[in-house]
Amino acid sequence: MNITLNWLKNYIDFDFAAEQLAEKLTMLGVEVETIKQLGVALDGVVVGKVISIKPHPNADKLVLCQVDIGKKDKLQIVCGAPNVHDGMVAPVATIGTELHSGVFIKKTKIRGEESYGMLCSENELGISPDAAGLMELSPELSIGTPLTEALGLDDTVLELEITPNRPDCLSLIGVAREVRAETGNELKHPQIELNESDTEIQDITSVTIDAPELCPRYAARIIKDVKVGESPDWLKQRLESVGIAVINNIVDITNYVLMEYGQPLHAFDYHKLNENRIVVRCAAEGERITTLDEYERKLTPDMLVIADAEKPVAVAGVMGGHETEITDSTRDVLLESAYFSPSSIRTTAKTMGLNTEASYRFERGADPENVIPALNRAAQLIAELAGGTLCKGIVDVYPGKREPIQITLRPERVNFILGTELEATEIEQILSRLGFGIEMVQQEGRDQEVAPTEDSVFQITVPSFRVDITREIDLIEEVARVYGYDNIPTTLPKGDIPVLVPNKLTEVRRRIKNFLLSSGMMEAINYSFVHPNCFEKIRLSEDNPLRDALKLQNPLSPEMSVLRSTLIPSLLNNAQHNHNHQINNIALFEISTVFVQDKEPARVSGILAGEIGDGVYGNPYKHPDFFDIKGIVEGALEVCGITDYAFKLTDEPTFHPGRNAELLLDSKRIGILGEAHPEVLENYELPYKAYLFELDLNALAGATDFAKRFKLIPIYPSIQRDLAIVVDKEMQSDLPIDIIYSTGGKLVESVKLFDVYVGDQVAEGKKSLAYTIMYHSATETLTDKAVNDLHDKVIRKLNQELNAELRM
Amino acid sequence: MKEELEAIQTEVLQALKQINTQDQLESLRIEYFGRKGKFTDVMKGMGKLSKEERPILGKLANEVRSSLSDAFETAKTELDCKQQEQQLKAESIDITLPGRKPTLGKAHPVMQVLQRTEEIFMQMGFQVVTGPEVETEHYNFDALNTPPNHPARDLHDTFYLTDGHLLRTHTSPVQIRVMENQQPPVRIIVPGKAYRVDYDVSHTPMFHQVEGLLVDRHVTFSELKGVLVSFARQMFGAQTQMRFRPHFFPFTEPSAEVDISCTVCQGKGCRSCGHTGWIEILGAGAVDPEVFRAVNYDPEQVTGFAFGMGVERIANLQFRIPDIRTFYENDLRFLHQF
Ligand SMILES: [Zn+2]
Repeated sequence: MNITLNWLKNYIDFDFAAEQLAEKLTMLGVEVETIKQLGVALDGVVVGKVISIKPHPNADKLVLCQVDIGKKDKLQIVCGAPNVHDGMVAPVATIGTELHSGVFIKKTKIRGEESYGMLCSENELGISPDAAGLMELSPELSIGTPLTEALGLDDTVLELEITPNRPDCLSLIGVAREVRAETGNELKHPQIELNESDTEIQDITSVTIDAPELCPRYAARIIKDVKVGESPDWLKQRLESVGIAVINNIVDITNYVLMEYGQPLHAFDYHKLNENRIVVRCAAEGERITTLDEYERKLTPDMLVIADAEKPVAVAGVMGGHETEITDSTRDVLLESAYFSPSSIRTTAKTMGLNTEASYRFERGADPENVIPALNRAAQLIAELAGGTLCKGIVDVYPGKREPIQITLRPERVNFILGTELEATEIEQILSRLGFGIEMVQQEGRDQEVAPTEDSVFQITVPSFRVDITREIDLIEEVARVYGYDNIPTTLPKGDIPVLVPNKLTEVRRRIKNFLLSSGMMEAINYSFVHPNCFEKIRLSEDNPLRDALKLQNPLSPEMSVLRSTLIPSLLNNAQHNHNHQINNIALFEISTVFVQDKEPARVSGILAGEIGDGVYGNPYKHPDFFDIKGIVEGALEVCGITDYAFKLTDEPTFHPGRNAELLLDSKRIGILGEAHPEVLENYELPYKAYLFELDLNALAGATDFAKRFKLIPIYPSIQRDLAIVVDKEMQSDLPIDIIYSTGGKLVESVKLFDVYVGDQVAEGKKSLAYTIMYHSATETLTDKAVNDLHDKVIRKLNQELNAELRM
Repeated sequence: MKEELEAIQTEVLQALKQINTQDQLESLRIEYFGRKGKFTDVMKGMGKLSKEERPILGKLANEVRSSLSDAFETAKTELDCKQQEQQLKAESIDITLPGRKPTLGKAHPVMQVLQRTEEIFMQMGFQVVTGPEVETEHYNFDALNTPPNHPARDLHDTFYLTDGHLLRTHTSPVQIRVMENQQPPVRIIVPGKAYRVDYDVSHTPMFHQVEGLLVDRHVTFSELKGVLVSFARQMFGAQTQMRFRPHFFPFTEPSAEVDISCTVCQGKGCRSCGHTGWIEILGAGAVDPEVFRAVNYDPEQVTGFAFGMGVERIANLQFRIPDIRTFYENDLRFLHQF
């Protein structure tokens, strides 16, 4: 909402400059978002009067004007405007003025004739695009006054952000009340004097409320014989300065009073109301109305309407009807001022997709006690500015009158909540400036107290405009904001620090992230929503439950319309984006929750593609392969302290059928990794192989144990034996390892595969595998003989079980 | 003979000056002191000397041998040094060649800021807690004192799922979930994702928040100020000023919006802060009694405060990225900058 400084001064006195006022209001919770000075480019422009005109001796299209600007000497100004005439009152830019276009006015000679200033068009002053001729000013303006003053432009507009709980601030009087809380100055309410005729309003109209729940109060006045036309300049200027469109004097006045009081009003053409009367009721099934914006709208029975004897004439509190609106031919006006239930207005406005100045205020909560003052104020202005005579009396139907809210406030509670040491009298003063009624309640068993103390209890009466105040805590906030948040002390919490419960998932996430970062992978964050076709793009099988993704009802776009059940498509998208920008060293990971049915499991996923490494001498780029991604997964498991896992080839269609694995923990799948299937690569337009993994962090957290215990460092030496065997090419390299461990028992400390060879040195269809075995006993130094015997046993066993030949 | 010894001494000392290698040194040694060496030859003549001459010449011979032996030793050491010098010189490398640095990854900039935020609050005894992103109307709004039809719901453009759930519009629902399952004292922060239907240069439909909650028998508004001022000083620097402005949130009362002195102009006023000198960074307030009632806490027995901040917003105070959607493109040229 916009207000202007001068307008606000109509309702309260204050000495603040705009910036100071903005600061004070902001610190009271009425945030001032912008401050705009009106008419800044008009300094040096004054009201002037052309007193005589002579032709220019050297130019046909120019004239020499003698201009009075209120000083002894008249100015000679050369002018070429077509509409300049004798006696014209127009703006004069005096010497030294810089116009908004940057033109600097100085004494000049135009075709040999001296010119001491410039007569201006609206365009030249930056007021409007109109450049057809000089701006014609009212002849009543006092000659020589600065133009800003003459036009009411010497003012400042403040743009306020009013929070939804403070509809009482959606008006100038409302903002003035906040200024009163700051300064203590009294409000200056508009003086209302009404000259009523002898025609009794009851004789010519009636108001019936059929839905008192939705319309607790409805009041009307009638003004006869008005002259609908343009509003006076001051009124137009006021409305325009706060951004309200000017329509005609009647509508402008209702808008003016809306800004003053925050009470929405509506004016009907009295004669267009069937039987000249008002019925407030819910719409009937099938009823329609054409609103002021000339849209025909369907009405439903939950919508409150203002009707005449026959049909709806306005959507209550939202928008008037086109048929009964004020036009140039309107003679008599029925003026509505009412209070509607906020939730009803909100539902109707939402259903209709309308958000008007009226609905905005009603749905937040207007003041039922404001209905009559605003109605009278508008009636007075209509009589003054549009002529007409005011009928006697008001029709005021008020079935929903409520008693003011009473709240008990404990000053000691104020200090308890805020951490302050306010005196009861300070609290009392703050609340009374805000318009609250305050009564001190006697505590039982106490003597009569002269002044309130911290132990007193206040009985607070909430003014009807403060719809947000219903509880003691609301009053405490009022005290806090007027006292000033900045004046409340700043201390650290005194309470006990709760016992922290270690969280394994957090720890697993932290360790894996640190490991991946130190492995050269970059962290990505993607949106949780994906395109539903991503499951097809990664070739998930038809029956894969991950396809059953949660859908958004109101997505921003198809690309963001379902919640992801796997992180893999997001990372492939990232690879595609980077490849499209010629960045091909793709090593990315993401840690996030995913959405699988009603669960939100945590995942870590990664991708290696293109060229990894730094690409410098000594660390050249290399193409990643399956074992790079497998190594990453193994490292991630290691940092979580998980050792008892297995890899197994799968038939997941996302991956190359011979280059993938699932990660098994207790024979349960907790992750998957592999080379992306060529079709997947094609779907993401990647010209090179990509290696992916995804692990279930919840499962890792469940399996991990970070507790560490000391194990004895071996006392006896270990003995190393290397072993190379020739086996079938297809045989898995971990089979011999299992056999070595099972054969050697406790004496095998470790087995490492250190070489794999396929080629001329071995037979077709065979491969050579070389292992280093460390033999060790915890209880003695092993003899060569013991080791040799055991090693031979291992070799025999490998031969029996795997048909492995010892390679010499 | 005396002359011969003196001549040898002179000759050898002279010859040593010309020596450049260990081999030359060795052949010189053999030339004079080998089995057929010149000095050895002279010494063979010792037997022919008279009794009187023998001790005199013997002494002289010993002196010559000893001094030449020292000279040989010195020459050898010199040669060793020279040789090592040469070897080291030959082993010189171009130290401007690149080091074999392990390739390092970088955490996402938003996560870096989030992690720093978590660390600061953990030092103040706050525990990190998370909660679901798919929520119900109850936890996201109702239990936070935002019933249907409340105008505050307009401020949250909510994503709904086809099954009637919604994506949480803030991390605040976790407050409720924690209080439902835990008795005070509660001192938590809740980092996580939140969602709103918004997509422009300063809004992404998914963003990160950190929510904080402290509930105990007697928690005051002044302690809320203390915790947040302490956070701001650690996060933005010791000189950071903080300003609390009254505001409105349905689930706190009194409520505040919190500004810090502009990080660009240090509060003097510039374009970044709209010439106010202040930049809004978070919302906060004392927990509303209705929220306590929703979780069966007695508002007469406990008080508390809550706060919430947008991580992208805080991150961008530092990074000044003109279009924050850049955060989620995961362009490697972008990610490598942080
Ligand atoms: Zn600044």
